[in-house]
Amino acid sequence: MRHLLWMWLALVALGACAFGGAFLPLPAGLRPLLMLPSLVMVAILALGFMEVRRGGALPGAFALAAIFWLFVLLGLGSADPLTRRVYPADQGGASVPGPPEISPQR
Amino acid sequence: MSENVAPHTHFQYEDARHQADSAIAGMWLFLATEVLFFGGLILAWIFCRHWNPEGFAAGAKESVLWIGTVNLALLITSSFVYGLGQAAIEAGRVRMLIWCCLLTAGIGVVFLGLKLLEWHVDLDENLWPAGPFKLHGAEADGGRLFWIFYFVATGLHAVHMLVGIVAVCWIALRARRAEFTADWHTPVTVVGLYWSFVDMVWIVLYPLIYVVGRLS
Repeated sequence: MRHLLWMWLALVALGACAFGGAFLPLPAGLRPLLMLPSLVMVAILALGFMEVRRGGALPGAFALAAIFWLFVLLGLGSADPLTRRVYPADQGGASVPGPPEISPQR
Repeated sequence: MSENVAPHTHFQYEDARHQADSAIAGMWLFLATEVLFFGGLILAWIFCRHWNPEGFAAGAKESVLWIGTVNLALLITSSFVYGLGQAAIEAGRVRMLIWCCLLTAGIGVVFLGLKLLEWHVDLDENLWPAGPFKLHGAEADGGRLFWIFYFVATGLHAVHMLVGIVAVCWIALRARRAEFTADWHTPVTVVGLYWSFVDMVWIVLYPLIYVVGRLS
């Protein structure tokens, strides 16, 4: 039971880090890094409380498949918004000479 | 196949170990589908935040950080308490398993109570995206998108919590009927996987809702 207590303390400490991250004055582009403590917490839960390694080969394969397909979902899904260039709409049928790029609202 | 199987073993399994492994693998397969289910929500968050960073951050600043943080601590503790129950039944201590299940379910009910309070505060603050909305000007559209994400994500998580509370109470009831022993307690393990996953989902939602946008 002692290992459960250590894992709980680690989760509480990481939760405190996640909470503290709310007050870090990071620029908007870097703020997704504040997800890091949560990702470590997820790993502790999967390896500690859910004991994915103890379950055998099949649960491990399902867990890895879930992570793999999640990466595919998030990777392919965000490839479009993160790389798309937006051009102004053609107003009144006149052709627009050079397509000036519009970056997303910042 | 042997005709002499353990009392809880169904006919299609070779032995109790085979049945337990199948049940645990089945729950992991279900959880893999749940990862993709919630993955769609995370993708929506990435997409909406990318195109509306200022409005999205303005929306996030209106979230009630203290309730989200208390709920995070509650769910972490609930997984710990349920883990104690699992360790107890592995040692044959049924009574402790029952108490741990009741405490876990109780923490889950407190979580939902705080979530209802938070929704009440949000609605009082005019943060329901379909009504007269609190944010105005250039930030209104992104703010509405954030609050759509917020209500969908927290609503779906709350439904999962309700299912988890019922499942944990069901385990407590079966333990009270002395159905679990140190040798056979597969349902305890399977429900524990589900409960930890619901905890995991909140751990991921917490920074998306309360942390990332707060000081942008």
